[in-house]
Amino acid sequence: MSLEIESMVRYASPINPAVFPHLTMLLLGIGIFFTAWFFVYEVTSTKVSRDLFKELLLSLVAALFSGFGILFLLLWVGIYV
Amino acid sequence: MMPAMAKLQFCVLFLVYVASQCGGANVDVVSSAITVKNVDRTIDISSQLVKINSKITFENTGKSPVKSFLLAVESSSKSKLAFIGGKDSNNKDLRLVETTVKGYDNAKFWRVDLKESINAGSTASAVVETVYSKALQPYPTAITQQEEQLVKYIGNLYFYSPYPVTSQKTNVILNTKTVENFTKVKPFSQLDGTIAYGPYTNTAAFTEKELLVHYKNNSPFLTVTRLERLIEVSHWGNIAVEETIEIEHTGAKLKGPFSRYDYQQDHHSGPASVRSYKTLLPASASDVYYRDTNGNISTSNMKVKKDSVELDLRPRYPLFGGWRSHYTLGYNVPSYEYLYYSGNEYLLKMRAVDHVFDDMQIDELVTKVILPEGTTNIKVNFPFSVTKLPDSLHYTYLDTKGRPVITFSKNNIVENHIQDFQLRYTFPRILMLQEPLLVVGFLFALFLCVIIYMRLDFSIHKSEHPHKD
Amino acid sequence: MTVETQSKARLSQLTSDKQLTFIKLAVLSMAAILSFATRLFSVLRFESVIHEFDPYFNYRTTRYLTEEGFYNFHNWFDDRAWYPLGRIIGGTIYPGLMVTSATLYNIMQFLNITIDIRNVCVFLAPFFSSLTTIVTYLLTKELKDEGAGLVAAAMIAIVPGYISRSVAGSYDNEGIAIFCMLLTYYFWIKAVNTGTILWGTLTALAYFYMVSSWGGYVFLINLIPLHVLALMMLGRFSARVYVAYSTLYCVGTILSMQISFVGFQPVQSSEHMLALGTFGLCQLYAFTQYLRYHLSPANFELLFKALLTTLLATLGTAIVVLTVTGKISPWTGRFYSLLDPSYAKNNIPIIASVSEHQPTSWSSFYFDLQVLVFLFPAGLYFCFAKLTDANIFIILYGVLSIYFAGVMVRLMLVLAPVMCIVSGVAASSLLSLHVKDIEPKVEKHDKKKKHENNLVFRSEVGALFVCVLGCLLVSYVFHCTWVTSEAYSSPSIVLSARAHDGARIIFDDFREAYTWLKMNTPDNSKVMSWWDYGYQITAMANRTVLVDNNTWNNTHISRVGQAMASSEERAYEIMRELDVDYVLVIFGGLVGYSSDDINKFLWMVRIGGSTDRGAHIKEADYYTGSGEFRVDAHGSPTLLNCLMYKMSYYKFGLVYTEGGRPPGYDRVRGAEIGNKDFNLDVLEEAYTTEHWLVRIYKVKPLPNRGL
Repeated sequence: MSLEIESMVRYASPINPAVFPHLTMLLLGIGIFFTAWFFVYEVTSTKVSRDLFKELLLSLVAALFSGFGILFLLLWVGIYV
Repeated sequence: MMPAMAKLQFCVLFLVYVASQCGGANVDVVSSAITVKNVDRTIDISSQLVKINSKITFENTGKSPVKSFLLAVESSSKSKLAFIGGKDSNNKDLRLVETTVKGYDNAKFWRVDLKESINAGSTASAVVETVYSKALQPYPTAITQQEEQLVKYIGNLYFYSPYPVTSQKTNVILNTKTVENFTKVKPFSQLDGTIAYGPYTNTAAFTEKELLVHYKNNSPFLTVTRLERLIEVSHWGNIAVEETIEIEHTGAKLKGPFSRYDYQQDHHSGPASVRSYKTLLPASASDVYYRDTNGNISTSNMKVKKDSVELDLRPRYPLFGGWRSHYTLGYNVPSYEYLYYSGNEYLLKMRAVDHVFDDMQIDELVTKVILPEGTTNIKVNFPFSVTKLPDSLHYTYLDTKGRPVITFSKNNIVENHIQDFQLRYTFPRILMLQEPLLVVGFLFALFLCVIIYMRLDFSIHKSEHPHKD
Repeated sequence: MTVETQSKARLSQLTSDKQLTFIKLAVLSMAAILSFATRLFSVLRFESVIHEFDPYFNYRTTRYLTEEGFYNFHNWFDDRAWYPLGRIIGGTIYPGLMVTSATLYNIMQFLNITIDIRNVCVFLAPFFSSLTTIVTYLLTKELKDEGAGLVAAAMIAIVPGYISRSVAGSYDNEGIAIFCMLLTYYFWIKAVNTGTILWGTLTALAYFYMVSSWGGYVFLINLIPLHVLALMMLGRFSARVYVAYSTLYCVGTILSMQISFVGFQPVQSSEHMLALGTFGLCQLYAFTQYLRYHLSPANFELLFKALLTTLLATLGTAIVVLTVTGKISPWTGRFYSLLDPSYAKNNIPIIASVSEHQPTSWSSFYFDLQVLVFLFPAGLYFCFAKLTDANIFIILYGVLSIYFAGVMVRLMLVLAPVMCIVSGVAASSLLSLHVKDIEPKVEKHDKKKKHENNLVFRSEVGALFVCVLGCLLVSYVFHCTWVTSEAYSSPSIVLSARAHDGARIIFDDFREAYTWLKMNTPDNSKVMSWWDYGYQITAMANRTVLVDNNTWNNTHISRVGQAMASSEERAYEIMRELDVDYVLVIFGGLVGYSSDDINKFLWMVRIGGSTDRGAHIKEADYYTGSGEFRVDAHGSPTLLNCLMYKMSYYKFGLVYTEGGRPPGYDRVRGAEIGNKDFNLDVLEEAYTTEHWLVRIYKVKPLPNRGL
C-alpha cells in the first residue's frame, strides 16, 4: 500500500530476450573451449608437469562461461528460471 | 521469515474480512421511506447464463435524506447467483455490502451505500446487474443427436425488492421464436425472440410470482468444472501462464448412439453439441500450447488480432450433452505488460481469471501465483472475495529454498469476474545472480573433483613406468 | 572417419599427445551427441510422445512405479488388463527399464529438475544410445585399437538396425538392453584379458542389469559359455578364463535369480543349460589340469577315463529323470522358432501373427546395415588374421547373431552392434594400411618396408582406396539418416499424410478415441478389442481391457477372436459372458490405413478357431469359393455377417470415399463392400473418430422382459 501503481515503472528483462540465442552461443562456445582445454590438460599432463594454479584458473574460467551459457540456454529454450 | 509470514497472513485475512464483511454479521432494516418508482428489467436468457439487468429509480418518500438502499435476491435463486454489481446514474461502480434483514432469513441482501444521499422527495437511479449460472434447466433432460435442446427458465415475474414498486416492465430476451410455453400474465407481448411483460403497477414488497419460459436454446452449454490457473513470474522478463481446464457439456444429455455419418453428412446435425469455441488470450501472448494428458491436441487455430490473440480451440471430439473434456492451455507474456517496479518493490497486476469462452461459467477456480525465489513481503489485493489457500513453496529448475506460491480459489465464476488482482512484493535484484552462480558453482565443484581425482593414486605398488594415456 | 584417421597418422609424427587426446575426445563426444540427436526426428516432426504399443505399457508401469514406489510396484496386481483374470505385473516383467527411468526421474526431481516422467521415458532410449556409443568405443578398443574404436563408435551412433528400436519415444526394453549387453561384453573381454575377480564381478553386475531389462539375455548367457568352450577347444583355456567365467557364472546366476520373472529358470530351463554345463566343464577341466600336474601320465589316464564315464552316466540319467519329472522345463516355442524358422508358424498362430517374429528378408539386411554388410567379412578376416581371446569372442558373436537375425526380424538389433564393431575394425585397419602409403613422409621414414614390397603407384593406389572407402562411408551416413527419417521415426500413434497440395494432414484418431473413452465412459467399463490395442487402451484411456499385447493366455485371446468372428447373436453371448461394455475396432477403409482390423481379421479367425470352444470357427468359411478373402459382394456370407465386419462397416455403405466410386468403397481393400444395408441389434455406435479410424460400440443391455 506504500507505493501506487502510477509511481512505478514497467518492468522489462535486464537482458533483451532477443539476444538470448547469441549470448548462449558465445558463452557456451567459450565455456566448452575452456572445458576441453581443461580436460585435455588433465589427461595429458603428468604428475610432475601438472600445475595446480593453471588447473584452477582453467576450471574457473570454464565454469564461469559454461554456467552463464547454460543459464541463457535455459532462458532461450523457454525455461524461465 | 516467520514474522513476515504471519504479517502476510494477517494482511490477507484482513483483506478477505474487509471484502466480505464476514457474511451475516451485518444487520439492516428495510427503510419504509424508500419506494421504487420504476423498474426496467431485461432478462437475457439467450445464452447458458441468466443475465438480469435492472434499471431502478428510487424515491425518498420520507422526511430525512437516505444514504443507502437494499437489494434482495429471492431464496429460490440465491444459490445460483454468480455475480451482482451496481452502477449509479453516472455509470460509476457502486459498493455492495452483503447484509441480512431480520424476518427475511431466506433471502439474500446487499446494502448499497450511495455517494450522495437522496434528499426527501427526490429520486435517484441505479443499474443493477446480476448473473445467474445453472439457472436454465434442459427439459427434456436427454435428447438424441438430431434433436434441438429445449430449456426451462423459472424466475420471478416481478422485480424482487424489499420496497414497494410503483411501476415495472420486464423484457425477456430469448433470441429464438421457438417457444414451447411461457407464463402469460397480461399485459404481455411476444415479438422476434423477446417477450415483454408489463407495465405492472403497484406491486408490494417481496412479491414473488413464477415466470416460466420453456424455449429452444442451442447455445453452448459448457461448464468449466475446474480451472487451475498458474502464473509463474520470472525476472528474466517473462510471465508464464498455464491453465488446466476441465470442461463438461451441461446441457441436455445425449440419448442413444452417436452417429459419425450423420454428424459429417449434415452440418446441422447435433445442434446442441459444441464443435469448437474461442478463447481470447492477451495480445502479447506467445508460445501457445494446447494439450492434454495424451499429448498435443493438433486441432486448433490461432489468429493474432489487434488487442488479443484469438484461439479457436477444438476439443479432440465434439462435446455432446454429458461429455467431458480436459486440457491444458499455456502461453508466455512479457513481464512489462503486467509487472511494475520501483526500486526493489514490485507490483504484479494481472487477471485473476481470464476468458475461456463467451458466456462462460466456471464452477471452481484455483489461481496460483509463483514468484521468484527470494521474494518477501507479499501482499495481495483481490477484486472480489476469494478463499485464500495456504501459501506453499514450489521447487523447479535451479531452486534451493523454493519459490513462494500464493494460492486462492473461488467458486461460481462468470465473465464479470475477469478483473485484475494486485500483488506486491519485495525482491532484491542481486538475487537474480543466484541461479547462474549456482550452475557455475556446480561446474566448478565438478572440475575440482576431477583435479582431486587426478592426484589420487589407488595402486598398491608403484609402477615402474609412469602411466600415460 | 577418414579425416580423423588421417589426422591421427599425421599427428603420430608430430607426437603431439595433446592434440591426439583432444581429437579422440572430440570424435567420441561428437559421436555420442550425434547418436542422441539423430533419434529426435519424431520429436521434432510430431511431439514428445510415446510410440507404438509395448512402450505404452512400459510407460504406464513406469508412471505407476514413480507414483507408488518400488514395493507396491513389485506387488502390483493389475486389474485393468486381462479381465476377469488380471495380471500380476511385478512378477511378469523385466523391471530394469522402469527402474532405470524411475531412478533417473527421482534423481532429477531431487535436483529440482522438474522434467515430466513422460519426457524421461521418451528420451531414455536416445540417452542410452549415447552411452552405447561410448561402450562400443571401449569394447572395440579392447579388441583392436583406439582408431577402430572410434570408427565403430561413429558407426553404431547411426546404424539403422539399432535406431529402429531406440528412437525418441520408442520406450522399450531393447533401448537399454543393447547398452547392457555391450557393457557386459566389454567387462567380459576385460575379465578374460586380465583374469581378475574384479572384472569378473563387474561382468556379473552388468549381466544382472541385462537380465533385469530384457529377455534377450538368454543370447548372452549362451554366447559367453560358447566363447569359453571355443577357447577350450582351441587350447587357449587358461586360468584367466577360468577365473572370469567362474566368477561371472556364480555371481551372475545368483543375481539373475533375484528377478522374479526369471526365478529358477537359470538352473531349470533348457536355455540356460549350456551355461551350467560349461561351468561344470570348467571345473572339471581345471581339476584335470591339477591332477595331470600331480600324477604320472599312466595313472592319470586311468583315473580320467573312469571319472569321465561315471560322470557322463550320472549326468545323462539326471537329465532324463529331471525332464521326465518336469523339473527341467520343456523346450519353449520361442526357442524352437530360433532353431527352426518355420516351427512357430506351423504350431502357434499367436507367435506367427506378430510381424516382428517373421524371418528377415535379404533386403532388410542391406536396408538396416548398408555398407556394414560388405565391411563385415573384411573385419572378420582381420579378426582371424590376428587371433586373440577377444577376437574369438567377437567372431563367435558375429556369426551367431547373423544366424539369429536371419530367423527373426527383431534380432537384427543384436546383430547391428557386432556389425559396427567388426566393420569398425575393418575400416580402421584398411585405412591405416593405405593412409601410410599416401604420406610421402612415411616413405622416407621406413625405408625397409619400401624395399619389401616395391609397388608402383603406391601412393596413388592408396589415395584411390581411401577415396573409395571415404565415399562408401559418406554414403553410409546419408543412407542411415534417410532411413531414420523415413522409416523409423513415425510414432504410429499419430499418422500423417500429404494432401494433394502438399499440406500435411494429421490423423490423430487414436488419441481422439482413447481420450473419449477416458473422459466419457464409466471408470469400470470393460473394453473389448483385438490384443494389439490393449496396452494403449489401458495406458491412454485407463479402462479395463480383456486382452493385451502380453498375449500370455492363448484361450482368452481366442475367446475374443471368436466373438469378433461370430455372428451378432453368438458374439452377444460371448460378450455377455466376458462382461464387455464397449467394443473397439480399428477401421482404415475411409482413409486407406492398411493395418486395420479387417486386414488382421484372418489372424482372429485362426486364433479364435485354435481352441476347443472355437472349434466351430473355420478359416475356410471366411474365404470365397475360390479361396480368396474379399469384402465385396462376392465375399463369403460368413464374413459378411460376422461381428467384425458389421462393426467396421456400419453405416459405411452410405459414405462416398473416392470420386467416381460407388458409396461404401473401401480404400484399403479397393472394393465396394458387399453388405451395406444392415442394422446392429445388440450394439450401438458410441463413438467414431473423425476419420473413422477407431470405432467404439456400446454393448446394449439385455432387453427388458416382455418387450
